[in-house]
Amino acid sequence: MMNGSTNNTATDTPWTSSSADRMAGMDHAEVRYFTSYDHHGIHEEMLKDEVRTKSYRDAIYQNRHIFKDKVVLDVGCGTGILSMFAVKAGARHVIGVDMSSIIEKARQIVAVNGMSSKITLLQGKMEEVILPFSKVDIIVSEWMGYFLLYESMLDTVLYARDQYLAPGGKIFPDKATIYLAAIEDGEYKEDKIGFWDNVYGFNYSPMKEVALTEPLVDTVEMKALVTDPYPVLTLDLYTVTPADLAFKAPFSLTCKRSDFIHAIIAWFDISFTACHKQINFSTGPHAKYTHWKQTVFYLRDVLTVEGDEIVTGHLENKPNERNKRDLDIRISYAFDASDVARHAEGRCAYKMC
Amino acid sequence: MAHSESSSGILDTASDAGWEDVESDDDSQPIVGLFSTTVYPDVHSMLKESRDRHNFDLVKVKKELDLDLIETIKLVNYIRSQVKAGNLQPNVSSKSLFDEDLYLKPTLEDDALLYNLEDLEDDVGTVGNTKQNAEKQVVELQEELDRLQGQFSEYRSAVQRSMTEQLSLEDETVVPDPATGLETVDKAREADLDYFSSYSYNAIHESMLKDAVRTDAYRDFIYDNKHLFKDKVVLDVGCGTGILSMFCAKAEAKLVIAVDNSSIIEKAREIVYENGFGNVIRCIHGKIEEVSLPVSKVDIIVSEWMGYGLLFEAMLDSVLWARDHYLTPGGLMVPSHVTLRISPFADSDLVCSQISFWKSVYGFKMSSMLTNIYDEVLVSPAKPSSVAADSVVFLQLPLHTASVEELTFVKDVEVTLTKDIHELDGWVVWFDVFFMPSHTSLIPEDAVPSHMKRQGYVAFTTGPDGPETHWQQCLLLINHGKDAVAIKKGQVIKVQVGYRKKEEKSRSLDIEMQWDEGDAGKGSQRWSLQ
Repeated sequence: MMNGSTNNTATDTPWTSSSADRMAGMDHAEVRYFTSYDHHGIHEEMLKDEVRTKSYRDAIYQNRHIFKDKVVLDVGCGTGILSMFAVKAGARHVIGVDMSSIIEKARQIVAVNGMSSKITLLQGKMEEVILPFSKVDIIVSEWMGYFLLYESMLDTVLYARDQYLAPGGKIFPDKATIYLAAIEDGEYKEDKIGFWDNVYGFNYSPMKEVALTEPLVDTVEMKALVTDPYPVLTLDLYTVTPADLAFKAPFSLTCKRSDFIHAIIAWFDISFTACHKQINFSTGPHAKYTHWKQTVFYLRDVLTVEGDEIVTGHLENKPNERNKRDLDIRISYAFDASDVARHAEGRCAYKMC
Repeated sequence: MAHSESSSGILDTASDAGWEDVESDDDSQPIVGLFSTTVYPDVHSMLKESRDRHNFDLVKVKKELDLDLIETIKLVNYIRSQVKAGNLQPNVSSKSLFDEDLYLKPTLEDDALLYNLEDLEDDVGTVGNTKQNAEKQVVELQEELDRLQGQFSEYRSAVQRSMTEQLSLEDETVVPDPATGLETVDKAREADLDYFSSYSYNAIHESMLKDAVRTDAYRDFIYDNKHLFKDKVVLDVGCGTGILSMFCAKAEAKLVIAVDNSSIIEKAREIVYENGFGNVIRCIHGKIEEVSLPVSKVDIIVSEWMGYGLLFEAMLDSVLWARDHYLTPGGLMVPSHVTLRISPFADSDLVCSQISFWKSVYGFKMSSMLTNIYDEVLVSPAKPSSVAADSVVFLQLPLHTASVEELTFVKDVEVTLTKDIHELDGWVVWFDVFFMPSHTSLIPEDAVPSHMKRQGYVAFTTGPDGPETHWQQCLLLINHGKDAVAIKKGQVIKVQVGYRKKEEKSRSLDIEMQWDEGDAGKGSQRWSLQ
């Protein structure tokens, strides 16, 4: 199986069995009711994501000279871990803001760790809460979602930047890059997409259509990569605007060997350039596992490629008009092979919802 | 988030050997027209076109000339050769015109029509009943139209409702939070629940279909017992993608009524149609208690209603309601019996790693996150080695007679430790499912699926000794709050276990327990599944 981590998921996080498995047949309100249990599991999964949490810890602890006596805003503070890192690094005061009821737990945690006087926790939307400071020196936030932008809090971070960040203030992290690459994934594509062709002898093609439009969040092995990665979008958090998050960007993928292409995958890298010594982490297939894994976009057709050939195309992303949290993603591609018989082009639409 | 792929590893839908006969009887082959090169999907449509456009009725000719199969083959080859020669109105007034052996040789290579001549008799019936069929179709289309109109008005009122909600949300007043003196929005907490709503629509159904323990059991029972389903009316409660309904249709049920309250029913309808069961399976969107069925009684109710810990989701209430309202006396419930089992649980590695994790997270104390672990049932696979005694049945539900009242209960059982344990870390609960072929069938009180299977019955377990299912097991962890007390092999523990729905119409569940370990102590605790 190409996307080999599937079984690990269960053993990595034995406490986070998702109630989604049993959500079939429930209407939306019921689904909402049942997801409260997931909160606990999600925070555990994020805290146990060492690549994520250690990168933030190092970025903060290694830069005490930057944090010392500063006012810090933690956007989407969750259990309060980043706020506590900032206090340990000498911040004068930290404001943690989160919409979720997890903030009640954060309050208990901050109190138990003797930091109540240093950390103010506010429950509510960034746009609506009133901060005890008119300006902050540093914004820290772990806002990234699957595919960087799915259910991400970047909008909120940008609002906080425009509203509260003092001139010359710093953002941790401040740079994000989305990469694309193409993969050979025949076996797993058969398992995920081909599955619907024959379910216990029945034709389930109506489900296959849905499956083809749902990007899959899963772990991809390095050896599945047929092309070099291509940085398709870089966001500078000091300058990016919410409008920039709806984009259409070209890509060009150079094949490394003769193989088949079943899917295009996306991942992102994160940088803390404000650090004394820059800290980066990657969520790519070449790097250590993170809970973001990679995002797989299956193509309808299979491309037959040879080394040094190039697949070009465009990645297009925009928030869904009806539900801003959903993403409408399109991938168009063209492949001019040396022989016409292998020539291919296509346009696939996906929805992350 | 919701996107869990954990199920795909354990699943093996390849173990379908032996069912090829059932699944591959699709014998419709493209047929070339008698008077043109047009290709038709089946004999029936080709013959209809011949009748309508060329005024030639093969079935009628066959009947009038009283042709046997060999003679009919000759007739077809004769017509094809005449048409090939340019004669679009071949003379078929007498058998002698084509009663020559040369017409046994196919005029058209691989002529699929020749392989389908035996079916022509069916077509005679259809011809005679065309009018009746057309009337039936009109009635069906009328029903379909009514349904769609109903759906549209439901949709319209839903849109109106959600708009009203949206507006009232925007109007909502901002209230100061007394704790902080700061303004917070009341509804924010609810809004964040939205955040975690289902990530993937297909994944839920995929994980259930790929749960081979579950789906194979239903398939095996239905296909092994076709005689029970043949010509019967079946009700599928909570049909999902319609897989169980299609199993029943393959087993030659006369009519299958598939009901689901989720929008997945739209996909089920498409799937049913794609598989050619459009006239056997009726998909109905709505709650079983509210929809109107096209029949007053059904012969069989089939349903996959089991939730975590068996009763989470409380879908069984609806199945029992359907039984009381629709199942004909002597009718069959599929599955027919379920049992709940419990065993003491000891897995100090698992418990320690959890507790120590929250005790120090990157140097910070986060023990307040621990409370959930003891308040909530954890749905997780239990290692077989963590089960410290032979499990005991604490509830058996015969689905033909069980009542909703029985789903809230307190039972007393005893377990005997089969090994020394460092500490009683908790309890593990799971259920077993049995498919008996008659409404009078009984199962032993302590029935074990593997034993029942050896006797030729269909059954499965969701316990730690069986292959993993998407239900996993329910772990109830004990909050000792004191030092560990070791317990010896052979120790009898008296256990009282109760299930209670949290409130009326709620899907969530409380499990309450009291236990007495003799010298090692006593305890009681409550967990909720939500």
